[in-house]
Amino acid sequence: MTRQNSELQRPEVSAPEPWSFPQAQRSELANGLGVLTYDIPGQYVISVRLAVPMPLDREPPEREGIATIMARTLDEGTARHTAEEFAELLERKGIALGAGVSDAGLIVDLDVSKRHLSEALDLLSQAVREPAFHAKEVSRHVKTRLAEIDQERAVPGQRAALEFIATYFDPRERASRPTAGTKAGVSAILPQDLVAFHAANVAPDGATVVLAGDLGDLDVVAQVERALGSWSGAGPEVVGPREAARSQDAARVVFLDRPGSVQTEFYIGCPGPDRHVEGGWAPYQVAGFVVGGSPSARIDAVLREDKGFTYGIRSGFRPRRRGGLFLTSGSVRADSTVEALGLLMDILDKARDGFTQEETQAGVDFIGKTAPGRYATADTVAEEAAGLALDGLTTEFTTTNLLALAGIDAARLATAYDRFVDGQWTVIIVGDASLYAEGVSGLGRGEVTVLPA
Amino acid sequence: MPLDYKIAEHTLANGLRVIVSEDHSVPNVTVNLWVNVGSRHEVAGRTGFAHLFEHLMFQGSRNVASGEHFSALMAAGGRLNATTWFDRTNYFETIPRGAMDLALWMEADRHGHLLDAVNQENLDNQRDVVKEEKRQRYDNLPYGNALIDVYAAIFPKGHPYHHATIGSMEDLDCASVQDVHDFFRSHYGPNNTVLTLVGDLSPDEGFAAAERYFGPLPATAAPRRGPVEPLAALSEPVRDEHLEDVPSDRLHLAFRLPVDDTPEFFAASLAMDIIGGLATSRLYQRLVRREQIATSISAHAMGFVDGTSLGFAAIDVADGFTADAAEAAACEEMVRFATQGPTEIEMESAMAQTERSWLSSLASQEERADHICHHATLQGDAGYINTFLDRLGEVSAAEVQQAAARWLMPSSRAVVAYLKQDGDAQ
Repeated sequence: MTRQNSELQRPEVSAPEPWSFPQAQRSELANGLGVLTYDIPGQYVISVRLAVPMPLDREPPEREGIATIMARTLDEGTARHTAEEFAELLERKGIALGAGVSDAGLIVDLDVSKRHLSEALDLLSQAVREPAFHAKEVSRHVKTRLAEIDQERAVPGQRAALEFIATYFDPRERASRPTAGTKAGVSAILPQDLVAFHAANVAPDGATVVLAGDLGDLDVVAQVERALGSWSGAGPEVVGPREAARSQDAARVVFLDRPGSVQTEFYIGCPGPDRHVEGGWAPYQVAGFVVGGSPSARIDAVLREDKGFTYGIRSGFRPRRRGGLFLTSGSVRADSTVEALGLLMDILDKARDGFTQEETQAGVDFIGKTAPGRYATADTVAEEAAGLALDGLTTEFTTTNLLALAGIDAARLATAYDRFVDGQWTVIIVGDASLYAEGVSGLGRGEVTVLPA
Repeated sequence: MPLDYKIAEHTLANGLRVIVSEDHSVPNVTVNLWVNVGSRHEVAGRTGFAHLFEHLMFQGSRNVASGEHFSALMAAGGRLNATTWFDRTNYFETIPRGAMDLALWMEADRHGHLLDAVNQENLDNQRDVVKEEKRQRYDNLPYGNALIDVYAAIFPKGHPYHHATIGSMEDLDCASVQDVHDFFRSHYGPNNTVLTLVGDLSPDEGFAAAERYFGPLPATAAPRRGPVEPLAALSEPVRDEHLEDVPSDRLHLAFRLPVDDTPEFFAASLAMDIIGGLATSRLYQRLVRREQIATSISAHAMGFVDGTSLGFAAIDVADGFTADAAEAAACEEMVRFATQGPTEIEMESAMAQTERSWLSSLASQEERADHICHHATLQGDAGYINTFLDRLGEVSAAEVQQAAARWLMPSSRAVVAYLKQDGDAQ
């Protein structure tokens, strides 16, 4: 074996082939249900997403969490089948059916191999139109959610996220409390509440069903019509979403005491834009990547690769329907807490001074050139389309946003970052306060409130 | 349903097996390398080393600077990472077709010439990073070490699967630059590696590119040892209880299973699905739906190559019930299943769900490449992705029952219990 070729020249990278986000076929059923289909050859599992606009602030204040419990019990028995029968009908066809809610609405997701699509749509229809909300199933899911709340409180990252929304948002805002509800609200939910909430909110008019996958030789719209065409009704009109108000004292440090923690969790945030922001959303994807999107990003270059304090800390802009957040989270070795937090806050603040052209271009290239792979599967296409539908957008947004990357330079990136990142940070720390709260106080980042975790 | 993903294979003179799966649906290529070394090859006192070594593969090599593997490929539109597991280590990136040569050049540089760049400083740095990974994923979480306890309870001391891939803090502290050199020389080299390329290229283009960048590397890896002897099912129950500050009681009921990629393993894995994996599983129906003793159930079969695999069910005990009650009910169901075997509907359901999840896992080029490399490396079969479902379909209900009776009886269980301390755990 010779090694004469072992010093080959580093290959040049040639420009990527043109690519565009898959094209949707759009139609609308007579009942107002929008139908979006994406034919993606070779994707043998069909991904179906039903997106129903249902802003979370429609939940009755004393029953917060009801949207989530409703989503989780849609398939736990219907007018025609018990919960066990329904589960069996799904399993025998290899159907994965789930549902979840966000601040914007309900998304029911269904994955099924192509040959069982028709049966799957029928079962989807039964779940969304005729859920039974049997008392036994409801009380079981209430109990499961209560157990889940205890679990969430015990996991440092989740504990930090919960404290963040409680600290950042005005307490009158629904956004200040967990999407899936607190113990008080969830405990109060009864079957009749679910029946009423479902009847008032889950309707075809204004909802969108997305189907993505290898749809060749299928008449998908006819199949959807057969399953969902006779569904009727309209939910309340979704009127002008507004931005959830930030708490007046959002900018502060809360240290949740978790004695004996071998790591300290950070969850840090400030305002960010939504997708409709003037100047476009794309710069914020790039900025998030440059600051904290990879092991070579600004944060990990220091905290991971130089200092070895962390396995990785991530930053990103998270849009809501209106307004958004810029969030940074991750954990560090306990005894590095004070130094790590100081370095991290300095990095976040210093980014307001601007970015280099080189790092800007690296971010633009990463976001743009990874798109063909990120949107290569039925699942990711359907997910994107359904999420955007709840924001009143189509995947034209995705395409336009990717094209807009070409116009981003360091100056535009700096303007975008500085426009929202105001240096008024909400800082949540979960760790051993007896050892590190005083040191954190000494960083001069504001008063530190210590609370039990 | 027969699958027909294209598979072409060629072995270079230095032993590198190259597999190309042509797929022009997206203008990308996934480069995926499996090295036949994992934590099962670690020696006493050096647990966690295979994984620490994998981190060092990102700290530069002869012609690549530290961190450049990430930065250069990400800026070219690459998504990349690497993972280490009991049986193997994998390295992968999905890049636009025009960056494939760069990716292969960088991979060949680190797989051939890593040691030029290894030094005390980058070893110390990545040792710290790995220790934070361990704290984040295991030590600072409720139940975080439960699976580590499962491995130790199921496999005897000294067995390749007795210790977890993440290793111990003490052993990580002991790792030296000399260990890095020794490990690289023993385990890394084209003759112990499989390269799979999936995406926008022809087999000839893939083979030529592999030859260009990897062809010059010498076949440096030492020969592999043979697989260790299979273990029989545990002869009596094993118990490992932890009284901790956890939100609720959690039980792991674990079992030895047959070696991976055999009809017997497939049968045992279908049995695990029917007992605890499906939404209609025996344990879910009884413990979660009917008696509400548990709030959740999951079950998994992990296929391994060194003689013996692992199966376990995890049970979250509901408030107001004891872990003992949940365990007794679960054991009763396992005996019943081993005695009666699966129903026709259960077999149909387990097959249908496996088919859908298998097809989903083949939907992206990156996961497909990983499956191809997996089975080419560990079982020698590059075409596994196309034949797996048919092979699973040949397993009969009687074989599933036999596998349960042999491997999944309560008398062969290891129980790892994390029990809530008395008083308010909050």
